[in-house]
Order: sequence, then C-alpha cells, then structure tokens
Amino acid sequence: MKLSLRDVSLRFGGVRALDSVSFDVEPGTVHAVIGPNGAGKSSCFNAICGVYPVGGSVRLGDRELTGLPPHAIARLGVARAFQNIALGGADTVLDNLMVARHHLTRAGFVSTGLGLRRVRREEDRHRARVTEIAAFTGLDAVLRTPVAELSYGGRKRVEFARALAAEPRVLLLDEPVAGMTHHEKATTVALIRETRAVLGVAVVLVEHDMPLVMGLADRITVLDFGRVIADGPPAHVREHPEVLRAYLGAHS
Amino acid sequence: MSRLIELLAIGVSLGSIYALIAVGFAVIFKGTRVVNFAQGSLLLLGAYVVAALSPHTGFWPALGIGLGAGALGGLVLYWLVGLVPHGEHMTLSILTIGADVLLATELARRIGSRVMPTGDPWADGVWRVGGLVVPYSRTAALLSALLVIGLLFVVFKRTTWGVSWRSAAADPEVATLMGIRLRRVRAASWLIGGALATLAGLFLVAFPNTGVEPHTGLLALRAVPAVIIGGLDSPEGAVAGGIAVGVTETLVAGYADELGFLGQGAGDVTPYLLMILILLWRPSGLFGSKEAVRV
Amino acid sequence: MSRVMRTVGTVAALGVLVAMPFYLDAFWLQVGAFMMAAIIGAIGLTVLVGTAGQLSLAHAFFLAAGAYGYAFLAGEPGAGSAGTTLAGAGLPTPLAALLAVALAGGAGLAFSPVAGRLNGLYLGVASLGLVFLGQHVLFNARPVTGGFNGRSVPELSVFGFRLTGDEPELVLLGVPFGARERLWYVALACAVAGYVVAGRIVRGRPGRAMRLMRQNPIAAASMGVPLRRYRAGAFVLSAMYAGLAGILIALTARRIVPDYFGLVLSIEYLAMVVIGGLGSVRGAAVGAAFVTGLPLVLSHYGDDIGFLARPGEDGVDAATAVRMLYGAAIVAFVIGSAQQARKAQKARKGTPNAITITMDRARRALPGGARRRLQRQGR
Repeated sequence: MKLSLRDVSLRFGGVRALDSVSFDVEPGTVHAVIGPNGAGKSSCFNAICGVYPVGGSVRLGDRELTGLPPHAIARLGVARAFQNIALGGADTVLDNLMVARHHLTRAGFVSTGLGLRRVRREEDRHRARVTEIAAFTGLDAVLRTPVAELSYGGRKRVEFARALAAEPRVLLLDEPVAGMTHHEKATTVALIRETRAVLGVAVVLVEHDMPLVMGLADRITVLDFGRVIADGPPAHVREHPEVLRAYLGAHS
Repeated sequence: MSRLIELLAIGVSLGSIYALIAVGFAVIFKGTRVVNFAQGSLLLLGAYVVAALSPHTGFWPALGIGLGAGALGGLVLYWLVGLVPHGEHMTLSILTIGADVLLATELARRIGSRVMPTGDPWADGVWRVGGLVVPYSRTAALLSALLVIGLLFVVFKRTTWGVSWRSAAADPEVATLMGIRLRRVRAASWLIGGALATLAGLFLVAFPNTGVEPHTGLLALRAVPAVIIGGLDSPEGAVAGGIAVGVTETLVAGYADELGFLGQGAGDVTPYLLMILILLWRPSGLFGSKEAVRV
Repeated sequence: MSRVMRTVGTVAALGVLVAMPFYLDAFWLQVGAFMMAAIIGAIGLTVLVGTAGQLSLAHAFFLAAGAYGYAFLAGEPGAGSAGTTLAGAGLPTPLAALLAVALAGGAGLAFSPVAGRLNGLYLGVASLGLVFLGQHVLFNARPVTGGFNGRSVPELSVFGFRLTGDEPELVLLGVPFGARERLWYVALACAVAGYVVAGRIVRGRPGRAMRLMRQNPIAAASMGVPLRRYRAGAFVLSAMYAGLAGILIALTARRIVPDYFGLVLSIEYLAMVVIGGLGSVRGAAVGAAFVTGLPLVLSHYGDDIGFLARPGEDGVDAATAVRMLYGAAIVAFVIGSAQQARKAQKARKGTPNAITITMDRARRALPGGARRRLQRQGR
C-alpha cells in the first residue's frame, strides 16, 4: 500500500521542524530520507507515527493517518524500528517480538487471567510465527535470551525484527545500522533487501551512511531545515546541486 | 462580609506557607525530575531543630541552624538518590518515600508526646484592623514567603547561576555540553527544597498552632494539591496552587456550618477534591508544561 | 531450575500451607490470614506499579472500598456503637463479597479518566488525594461506615455453613475446625487464585504490553499498545485485587475502623512490592508476608525481645522499630537493586557478542514454505 505525505508541517515553538514536506513511498521499494543533522528526518517519522500532531496529511492507501493516535496507526500497518533502542531490556527476545503482535492478537486482562484455551491457542500460533521471523532475521538462537544481554548490534537487530513482527505494510527504519560493526551492517543490509523482495512492504529508511543509502534505496528524499530540497532516484539526487550544497556547505 | 475578608486574609497567608512547600517540590522536580515525598519529614526536621535549639540559643540562631539542617537534609536525600544511577524517576521517588518513613519515624520518636514551641518572636499576637483579626505569625509568614520566593525567582531569571539551573532543568545533556556542572546545580535544587520546607515548617507550627508535634510533617502533604494544581514542573504555578489551596481550605473550614453536608473536617480534604477536578480538566496542571507527545 | 523441580516445589509448598491449620494455634492462623490478604493486595499493586509503571498511593482507599463495601452489603441494618444507626443491604455474604470486589473495581474505573491520562509519577502524586478523600468519607458517612468507631463485619457463610465462623461445629482428624481454621482456607484459596491469575496476566499479552509501556511509552504506542486503556486497565485490576484483600482483612479483623485505611497503609503496601522487586508477583507475595507478619510477631513476642521498649517507655517500641525497618528496607532495596543491575551490566561487557549469525544461516533457516507464508502476511 502506498504511503503519501502531503504538505506535512510541524513546529516546535518558533522552529519549523517540518515545512510542507511531501513525498510518496511505493510498496516494495526502499525509500530513503536523508539530510544533515536536524534536517527533520526523525520528526518525519514521528509525524507518520502520530507521535506529534502535525499539519497537512499523511495517508496510507486511502486511509487518512493524520489525527489518529499512535496505536491506531500501528494497527493500520505502520511499524517502526527506533534509532535509540527502545526495547524491554529485562524481557527475552521472544517477548519483545511478541509485543509487536499486539494489534494482531486479542487476549485481554480477563481472558489471559483465566487462562482460556482461546488465549493459549492464540499465544501458540503467534509464537510460532514470531519464531519464523526470528529465524528470518537470524535471531532464532537467542530467542530466550534477555535483550539486555545482547550486544549493541544484536539489540539493533531485535529492534528491526520487532518492527517486522508487526506484519507491517510500511516499515520505518530509523538509522538501522548506526553503531554496527562492518559485518553486522552487511547482514542488516541484506535483511532489508530480503524484506523488500519477499514481503513487498514499503520501507522508509533514515540513514547517515551515504554509500549504503545510494546502494540500497530505490528513491531518495533529501531534507534540509525541514524542507524537501530534492526527491528522486539515487543517481538523480547525487547530482542535485542543492544536495551538494547542503552536504558540502559549498556556496553557489 | 467582614468574615469573608478575614477568611480570605487568613487563607492567603496559610496559602503562602503551602506555597513555600510547593515551590520546594517544584524546584526539586524541575531540577531532577524526582518527586520528593520526603518534603514532609524535611519540614519536620527543620522545625524540630529550631524548637529544640531555641531555648538554649535564642530563636534567631536556632532558625539559622534549622534552615541549615533542612538544607543539609535535602542534600543527604540528593546523595541517596544519586546512589541509583540512571534510575527511573518513579523508583527514585519511591526511594524518597522510604527515606521519609525513616526520618519521620525517628523524629516522631524524639518528639514523643511533647508539643515543642519554637519560641518565635510573633508569639500569639494579632492585628486588629477594623474588625479584622490576623495573627502576627501569619503576616510574617506571608511577608517571608513573598520575600523568599520573590528572591528565588529573581535569582532564577536574572543571575548566571539561575540561567544554568534552568538550562540544566530543560535539557541536562546540552547543559553538560555547555560546561554546566549538573551535580552542583541539581544538589542546589535539593538544598533549596529543604530550606524552603524548614521555613514553611516554622510558620506552620506557629500561632494559632502551638508547636512541633510528631504529625506536623503530614501537613506538608497539603502542598501536594498545590503543586499538582499549579503543575509539578512550574515553581510559578506552585505559588498560585499554594494560595488556591490555602484559601479553599480556610473558606471551607470557615463556613463549616453552612457546608455541613460535606462532613466534619471537610476543609482539610477539599483541596484534594479540587486537585482531582482540575486534573480531569487539565492533566498537567494549570501552569505545567504540556507534554508535546500525544501518548 | 527445571520444570519438574519447580512443580515439585510448588506442590510441596501448597501441601505445607494446606496442612498448617492442623498444627498452628489461633494467633498464628490469624497472622497467616492477614498475610494472605496482604499478599493479594500486594500482587495487585506490583502489577500496577512494577509492570505498568504507574505509581499509586491510593491502595488504602481501594482496600477500604472492599472492606467497607462487604461490611455494608452483607451487614444487616441495626444499631452501631455510640448511638449510631447502621444501614446495611443484608445480601447473602458471598454475593456481597463479589459485589464488594466489583465496587472497588468500579471505584478504580471512576478514577480512570485521571489514571489513564497521567503517567507514572504524576499518578502517584495525584492518587494521594484518594486516600485523604476516602478517609474523610469513612469518618463521615456514619450510616454506612459506622464513623470513627467503625463497624463489625458479618461472617462469610454459604447455606448456613460459616466459612469464617464456628458453626456448625466441625472436627477434622481430632482438630476442632473453628473460625480461624476455616478463614485460613478461604484466604489461601483467594491468594492462590490471585497469584495464578496475576502470573498469567504478567506473562501474557497484557503484561508484555504494560512492561514496554513502563520502559518506553512512545515505543509501546508505536507498536499498537493503547496506553490510556492499559493504564486504566492496570489501575482497575489493582483496585479489584485491593478490594478482595480488603474483604479478607475485614473478615480476619472482624471489625474495621477508618484510622487503619490511611496513607501509612498505602506506604506499607508500597514497601511490600519494593522489597519483593517491582513487577514480580512472587516477590510481592514474599514482601507482603514479611511486612505484614513482622509487626504482628514483634508485638506478640515484644516482651521477650530484650531491646524493644514497651509502649510508653523511652526507647524504641515495636511499632517504631517496624516502621523504621521497612522505611530502611525501601531505601536499601531500591539502592541495592540498582547497584546489582549496574554490576551485572559491567560483567556483561566482557562477554562476546551473543549474535554471530551470518546472513547465510538466517537464509538457510528459512524454508520455502515459511517464505511463502511470509509473503501472505498470515495473521
């Protein structure tokens, strides 16, 4: 399903974090959002997720996301992997992935407390599915390990897997390889490619690693001071004078 | 009518005492994001030290030492909180509850069944102006609160130190990068909170009350609706909240006969009712910063 | 610990608890009933504070709602102490108990517009209000509560069989089964049920959602967890647990007075869950047994323990000693668990990466069927 942003604006006091940003993300593609520090990349994610109330319109297919609370947006199929790891540290990898199934499952306080058979079946079914996703992301060996005991790269991977476990239509990846070793980076890039190919989801990627973005993205939107300064395929964006100026600080 | 004016005058002066406690809460919360539930026992500690020393040293030296004791108490709490690195704010606040139980129990044991007067110079004197009766002690409370809180706000707004305190409260990480020593600034918040509590304690036990009792510390909890009404992270709001609580309490107690349906001692609890009503209307208080995040 | 060992341990512990009334005297049975009541209350609080991360100092209020709710609903109208006239619904006692739990939950639900919107600390501060308002009502609503002197609590009975009384007479294996013995089993059954239910919730879907909500509310919301509903849900759940605990306290004490349901009681419950480790159901049970049992035992054997003063004497009496002890326990456990966590983290730094899995391995682990299922995004 296509994700479209139209004239999305967000202000913090006098600062314009986003200034009528518009772009479209096609299903089955990786769409990178890049820009210098403070250009509004993370604000963009927060706007899509409904964390901040924004002006303009964010749509998924023909559903309007603007104005919905974050959990309702998640329910419609938008999942996010956080830049600074936001996992439950003491919980196991399995439990962390199971949280992502929240909107696909129904067991409430009462039925869980009573241990109804319906609840146990649901739990088994989703645990099996989560185990598959863990295998897909190479986490099957550590399913029962508390997240806090994993390495940084490992936790980053769980962050990615959790977003995937939500069965998203749109996958938001906020610097998924930041701080990773070279080897871990390569694995994650392969995973993102695989996700695009196998699942056909729309991937929105915020990343600082330029060679990686140029190699991976199908389309790139460049933000600077909250505005879109370029939008297009990597080859096009790479040559764009505004982009060169924003990145290199060259005066035209 | 004159009764209403008298009640308002007393309410505002009582409110100024609550404001002192509430500003202490708010300064500590804004500075370190911890709710100091031990504010009550700090208040009791300061008042107890003043009352215990004043027969020997006279009132003013005792007050000085008492303020020091309250401030030191605040510092000790800060040190305790510092033993929990990267602690959740909720856990840290629970820690202060434990410290409160410890300190309050020990002080209550020392005080025993006594009522200890602080020997303050206002004693039981009252102003009588055109049928209005207001105790000296309450006038002193109002003036002291105005002076101290006013001074504090000037320091926050105008001095370099105040600027560093505010920026540390707003964004600790950036403040550190700017070369502000976080530990000092934070310790100062607790120190100020402790001293303010002591001052409030002094006036709380003064006339029409008779002295320090084991349960004096519980009075600090009256300031809780004040900070919530004003907004936990707003010292300015704490002043407004304090006055609102003082006036509400005094009015409801003053018109107890007319408000009989509220039950005995309704004055003591209406502030809490007011607090809950205001929370329903504005979850972050009247002056508190609304969290931008919609969660 | 293996599964078998754990099962054996659980069965053994239950066996001991079931056998207790045959060996303990009335005092210890009463201590036990109070402990089990507190265990239920503490389990409710640890789910709210530890799992959902919502601080509450209002627990005493909901304990009172259960206790007084039961006493009123089950009680017959009549003369109370000090010339008051008591009202009472006179319902069958098991029904009254159920309704009292519902009443406590309803009180929690009524507060949920506040409880759902405030996070963590704010709720802790705001919930103070409920304790004071609650106590005010207890003192003043005399026809319902009996006012300052409180009201007595009807025994729980089913078809004339007193579950917490002495009639009809009953002797098992030569041991007379009176009120204390029967109450023990009622309390034990409630505690075990409360323990099992809370354990399931904490391990299951609601528990996972609440734990993430406590640690990172934005992440939880972005994963589809409706925060307000869970905050309110946890609050209502803990209120119902407190209600049940309140009923058992009322049945054990046989008379309830408003003074008991004050802020100190809320703080005692907080001490229980902190001592047991926030969010741990088992820990809450241990903490509750400790905090409840200790003062009862100390005051019972106070004369035999040398260093404690009698009430009225100089020095530290039992009540003071206990308060200091759990005040210190809160401080010590908060600091202790933080230091422990830090040490564990330091120790971890030396260990090699837990993930050394290559993409190849991940691919091999993915059979064709799984791949197709991934494509279907099966729910």
